[in-house]
Amino acid sequence: MTGKKVLVADDEIHIIHVVAIKLRNNGYDVVAANNGAEAYELACSEKPDIIVTDYQMPFVTGIELIEKLRRNEETKHIPAVLLTARSFAITQEMQESLGIEECLSKPFSPKELLKTIQDILYQRAVAVRG
Amino acid sequence: MRRQRRLVWAAVGTVMASLCLAALTGPYDSGIGEGWRSGFAAWRLAACCLGAVGVIVLGLAYHRLARTVASIARQLTWDSAAATDLQTIERAAETVQTRLQDGQKTIAELETELKDLRLRSRLSDRQKQHTEAIIYSLRDAVVVVDESDRLLMANTAAAHLFAFDPEQARYQPLGRNLDAQYEDFVELIQRSRQSATEATRREMAFAGPDGPRTFDTIVSCVQEQDTVSGVVAVLHDITREKEVAQMKNDFVSHVSHELKTPLASITAYSEMLVDGEADDEQTRKEFYQVIQSQAQRLNRLIEDILNVSRIESGLIKVQKEPVSLTILIEQQMQMIKGFAEDKGITVTGCNPIVYDQVMADKDMISQVIVNLLSNAVKYTPAGGSVRIETDVNEVDAMARVTVTDTGVGIPADEINHVFDKFYRVGANNKQAKGTGLGLNLVRQIVEKVHNGRVFVASQVGVGSTFGFELPLAAAELAGATR
Repeated sequence: MTGKKVLVADDEIHIIHVVAIKLRNNGYDVVAANNGAEAYELACSEKPDIIVTDYQMPFVTGIELIEKLRRNEETKHIPAVLLTARSFAITQEMQESLGIEECLSKPFSPKELLKTIQDILYQRAVAVRG
Repeated sequence: MRRQRRLVWAAVGTVMASLCLAALTGPYDSGIGEGWRSGFAAWRLAACCLGAVGVIVLGLAYHRLARTVASIARQLTWDSAAATDLQTIERAAETVQTRLQDGQKTIAELETELKDLRLRSRLSDRQKQHTEAIIYSLRDAVVVVDESDRLLMANTAAAHLFAFDPEQARYQPLGRNLDAQYEDFVELIQRSRQSATEATRREMAFAGPDGPRTFDTIVSCVQEQDTVSGVVAVLHDITREKEVAQMKNDFVSHVSHELKTPLASITAYSEMLVDGEADDEQTRKEFYQVIQSQAQRLNRLIEDILNVSRIESGLIKVQKEPVSLTILIEQQMQMIKGFAEDKGITVTGCNPIVYDQVMADKDMISQVIVNLLSNAVKYTPAGGSVRIETDVNEVDAMARVTVTDTGVGIPADEINHVFDKFYRVGANNKQAKGTGLGLNLVRQIVEKVHNGRVFVASQVGVGSTFGFELPLAAAELAGATR
């Protein structure tokens, strides 16, 4: 499962840093953005295999980012993980309608995040192989 | 008296008749002379005459006496009957007297009752006046209609809310005198009356001169013998309560987010260290520094929350001393420069050092300056600038600090709220994170603790100038001496 590209979007540089180290240590490529607008541009240009995004970010929130990605034919299939301190604001309906694979609450465990990413990508790979 | 006279006459008649009888029955001629014989005959004649008169007098007296006796007997009979009648009358009188007494008692009772009723009536009138005074002085709008939805009463608050004259509208259908936007309110009253529900509660929003206002509306039916005789509606303005509730919710939301963010870093970096994910000493040192800085950030946030709370409750310890604003500015500029440079923002200030400008709590005023500077950096896009300046107004004896940025600015309709607790400018919410406490803390420290004042001017897309004024130390000391 190594070599997969993960886009990490968060306005907290320390969070990006720690997630990037964890993922890189486990063989993933990481691209990072510190706001939603930048993340959308990177998603379009880098075509990541999965996106990990914060909810509350300047200019474009994590939810707005996912909405934009779902409207774009080239990015609508990218699985998304929401990493947020506002998990109480995310309803099951919202999660399903936006196609959010998983919603993790901050404070979070990098190990748990890694496992979540691994599981999602594995299931996608199994689905593709049929 | 008459009876006594009759008895006297009867006695006189009896004496005369006895004399007559003695004269007639006495010896006629034994031993007397002729002369005496003739005188005796005359005497007999006279006695007979007297006897006749005496008999007549006696008869008359007897007759009169008999009449008198009969009269007395009659009188006695009458007196007996009268005595019986008298007893009846006495009994009747007693009855009448008893009844009279009863009547008097009843009258006394009725008079007492009347007094009571008058007293109660006066009390009732007074209570009515008090109740009306209370209703009219209520800040809640109160409207009372009768069984046909005609207005009976509307207090001052209702007149103000519905912008109508209750006196002119009295006894007219309520809907006729209210604006179209209150149609729902009128319908609510009608429906409550028709369904005879005891109390209906609904939140209703009306447009007001200062924006929409929300009212907690309670409509109650007045029941009289199973029929609705009227409806009372009370409208309590909960606009501010809702705003405060919303602000509290936003605050909890923001604060929890702000608390969780550094906590997330601390947790994640700690886990990485424990799991041996930091390969070398340099990386480990970097992780430790992150944990330390995030712990400090967490502490600052908690301190901010506690400081606002302490200042509001008056429990904070204030240590005022002569302070140079220019030195504090210089120190805080150094603190903020790293954060500003990361964002590509220049922070400048051209203040010659001036000592002992104000009497202030050094830590608190440092907090004010850093809050204004960090706010300016947070809301200024990359490439922008922040400038901090001080000057002294000798006339007003005030020292002034201004922080000017080239940031996003604040819309005019929100600028008056920027110092409110938990308030965050809606348009700039996405620009940066925050709790809505920083500027409130600035105002609390400047105005409540230091008797100064805060101010702000802004233009959307151009930038903002935040600032504060504090009394000069010399002026404050002079004031204290006086």
